[in-house]
Amino acid sequence: MFIDKVLSNKEGSASRNFLLSALWWSLFAIGAGMLAGLEFSMPDLVHNIPQLSMPHLRMWHVNGVAIGWLSMGYVGTMFYMVPALTKSKLWSERLGNFTMWAWNALMVGAFCTLINGNTEGREYAELGAVLDVMAVVALILIALNIYMTVVHRQTKKLYVSLWYFLGSLFWFPLVYIIGQRTFVALPGLNDAIIGWFYGHNILGMWFTTVGVGMMYYLLPRLTNNPLYSHGLSMLGFWGIALFYAPTGTHHILQSPVPEWLKAIAVISSIFLLVPVLTVLTNFFMTMKGKWGLAVTNMPLRFVVTSCFFYLLTCVQGPFQATRWINWYLHFTQWVVGHAHLALLGTFSFILTGAFYYGIPRLTGRQWYSQGLIRAHYWLKFLGFLLMMTSLTIAGLIQAAGWNFGVPVDQWSLQIRPYWALRAISGVMIVLGQILLAYNTFKTLYTPAILEMKAAPQEVKA
Amino acid sequence: MKGYRLGAIGIVITFFTIITTTVLLPMILFNPKPTGHGNNYIETVQANPARGRQIFVREGCFYCHTQFTRLQDRGYGPLVRAGDYVYETPHQLGTARTGPDLTNEGGKFPSQWQKAHLINPRALKPGSIMPSFSYLSDHDMNDLVAYVQTLGNERKVTHYVEAPEEYKASLARKTVDTSSDASGNAGRGLYTQNCAACHGQSGRGNGPNSVSLEKKPANLTRPFYKQYPDDFWFYRITEGVPGTRMPRFGEVLTEEQRWYLVAYVKTLQQKNEQTVDNLSELDKIEQVKLPVLTEQEWEPASGGD
Repeated sequence: MFIDKVLSNKEGSASRNFLLSALWWSLFAIGAGMLAGLEFSMPDLVHNIPQLSMPHLRMWHVNGVAIGWLSMGYVGTMFYMVPALTKSKLWSERLGNFTMWAWNALMVGAFCTLINGNTEGREYAELGAVLDVMAVVALILIALNIYMTVVHRQTKKLYVSLWYFLGSLFWFPLVYIIGQRTFVALPGLNDAIIGWFYGHNILGMWFTTVGVGMMYYLLPRLTNNPLYSHGLSMLGFWGIALFYAPTGTHHILQSPVPEWLKAIAVISSIFLLVPVLTVLTNFFMTMKGKWGLAVTNMPLRFVVTSCFFYLLTCVQGPFQATRWINWYLHFTQWVVGHAHLALLGTFSFILTGAFYYGIPRLTGRQWYSQGLIRAHYWLKFLGFLLMMTSLTIAGLIQAAGWNFGVPVDQWSLQIRPYWALRAISGVMIVLGQILLAYNTFKTLYTPAILEMKAAPQEVKA
Repeated sequence: MKGYRLGAIGIVITFFTIITTTVLLPMILFNPKPTGHGNNYIETVQANPARGRQIFVREGCFYCHTQFTRLQDRGYGPLVRAGDYVYETPHQLGTARTGPDLTNEGGKFPSQWQKAHLINPRALKPGSIMPSFSYLSDHDMNDLVAYVQTLGNERKVTHYVEAPEEYKASLARKTVDTSSDASGNAGRGLYTQNCAACHGQSGRGNGPNSVSLEKKPANLTRPFYKQYPDDFWFYRITEGVPGTRMPRFGEVLTEEQRWYLVAYVKTLQQKNEQTVDNLSELDKIEQVKLPVLTEQEWEPASGGD
C-alpha cells in the first residue's frame, strides 16, 4: 500500500530513515563548509555566483550541519536507543516517519533559502519564520513520540541515557522557540543576549545532552562493562541542567551588556567543569580494562575519540570564557576552532560511532567494508586535528594582531598558510564522509552476507 | 468533428504566430540604448541606507565584520555604549573578525572606493581575502554603500589618519614652502631617485618594482590624497607605511629634502578619479582604477550628514 511505503510501520524504519537523511544532508552541509574554506585561500575561486559566495555557504554550512546532519542523526539514534532502553517498540513508527519527511522538507527549505541569503540575519537562527514553525512542530511531534515510548516502557527504572534524551527533548523545543526570535524584534543588545542564549544552548541543551546520552548508551554496550557509577551520572546530569543554560553571555563579554549578566555567564561557565569532569570520570572508569577494544572495534574507537575531544572542548571552553583570556582571544579563529572541536570533534564523532553501531542492527546487514570505516576514521581524525591546529594558530596570530594594534591587512597576510591548511583539512573530512556514504550505500544495496540479530539487548547496569 | 479540429489548430497556430512576431520578437530584437536625452527616473533615486542594511544582513557581512569596538581596539573609533544599539534589530554585533571592525566605517573612505572595493577587493586592498560581491545589482550595491557610510553616524571619526604628536614640532621647524611650484620642482629629482621605482614616474603606483610587491604602492594621483595635511605626508615619508614595503626615508634623507618631496607629491593629485570601462582592467599592475559610476547620488536621503 502507498501509505506503508511513504509512512512505513516497519520496526526501526523511522530510525533508519532519519540516519540516512542525516547522512544525505551531511554531504551538502560539510561540502559547503569545505568550499567556504577553500574560498578563504582562493577568494576568487568562485566568481559572480551568489549561491556559492562564502557568507551564503557559511549560513548553509552551519544550519546544514546543526539542523541537518547532527539533529537528524540524533533523532534517528534516539528512535533506536529509546526503544532498546525501554524494551518496547517506538510508540508510533508512522509518526516517526512523518516527522522524518517533515524534517527533510524543512532541510530542503533551509537549503533553498539560505544559499540565496534569505536569512533572518541572526547567527545560528538564520531560518525564516515558516521553517521555524515547521521545525518546532516536528520537534514537538518527535518529543511526543519518544515521551510516549517511555510512558509505555517495559522496564521499571530509567537508565541515565533516557534522562538525557527526555531532558533534551524538553529543553530544545523551548530553547529553539526562545532563541529564534521569529516574531519579535528586540532592541540590539537584548537581541544579542537572547541570540547567544540560543547560540550556546543549542549546543548545551541539545548537542551536548543528547551526545552524552549516546555515550552513556554506547560505552557500556560496546565494552560489555557495567556503568561505573549511577550516582555520578546523576550528578553530571543535574550539573549540566543547572550550569549550561546561563552561560550564553560569555560570547559578548566586551560588549556593553550588563556586568552582572557577564558575571553569571563567566561563573557558570567555570562551574561547567563539574558536570563535565564527573561525566568523563564515569566514562573513563567504565572503559577500565577494555581500552584495547578501541583498536579493533571501530564504533568504540569513534566513541572514545569523541570522549577525549569532549574533555578537550570542555577544558578549553571555561578557559576562554574567563574575562582576561576572552579579552585576548575573542573575535579570532581560535573560537572557530573551538566550535569545530565541539561540533565536529565531539558530537560528529559520537554520531558517526552511533551510525556505525546502529545501521547493522537496524537493517540486519554487516558493513560492506571494515577498511572503509578505518579510512573514514583516519581521514576524519587527522583532518580534524589539522583543522583545529591551523585555526588555533591562526587565531593566536589574529589575537596578537588585535591586541598590539597591528593593522588587519598586515596580520591577514601572515595567516594565509593556515587558511590553506584548513582548506586541506576540509577536503579530508569531506572525503571521509563520502567514504561513509559509499560504505552505507554498498551495505544497504548489496545482498547481505551475514544476518545480524535485529533486537538490541539491554544495557548492563 | 474533423473540420472543427482543423479549425481549432489553425486558430491556435495563428494566434501564437502573431504573438511570437508582434510581442516576443520586438522584446528580443528591439533594444534601443539610452541616448542621454529624456528623463532618467531611476538613477535620480537616492540610495537608501535602510535597504542597504537588509543587504548587509542578506550577504552575511557580519560573519567577518563586527560592529562593536573594544577597549583594546586601536584606530577603530570610540568605545561603544549600550544606547548605540537600540535600533539595531536584528543585531549585527558579529562574532569573528576576519576583516576590520565596521563600527565607525562611515566616512573613512569615499563611496566610490567602497563600491569599487565591493566589486574587486583585491584591486584596492592587495592580499585581502574578502569575497567579491560583483554579483550584486547596482541598486543593491549603492544602497549597501550608503548603509556602510552611515555606520558610526553619531560618533563620526573626523580625521581619517593623523600624524603623531611629535610631527607637529617638525611642522613648526619647516623651512620649505610646500605649496609653491618652485619647491615642487625642487622635489622632482628626489622623487625620481627615491620614489619612482615603486610609485612610477607619474605617481600612479605602477613603477617597475610594483610588479613584485604584494601590497601595491599607493596611486598618488588619486584626489583622495588631497585631504592629507603636510605633516601627514612628512610622517609617511619619514617613517614609511606600516604593512607595506615602503621604507623609512627619515634614515636617508634630511628633513629639508623630505619637505621638498612633500611639495612635489602634493602636485601629483588629479582633479577627478580616473575611471575604467570594464572590471578586468582593474586587475592590471598599472594602477588602481575605479569603475564607471552611475549618476546615482551617493549620500543617504536622511542622516549621515
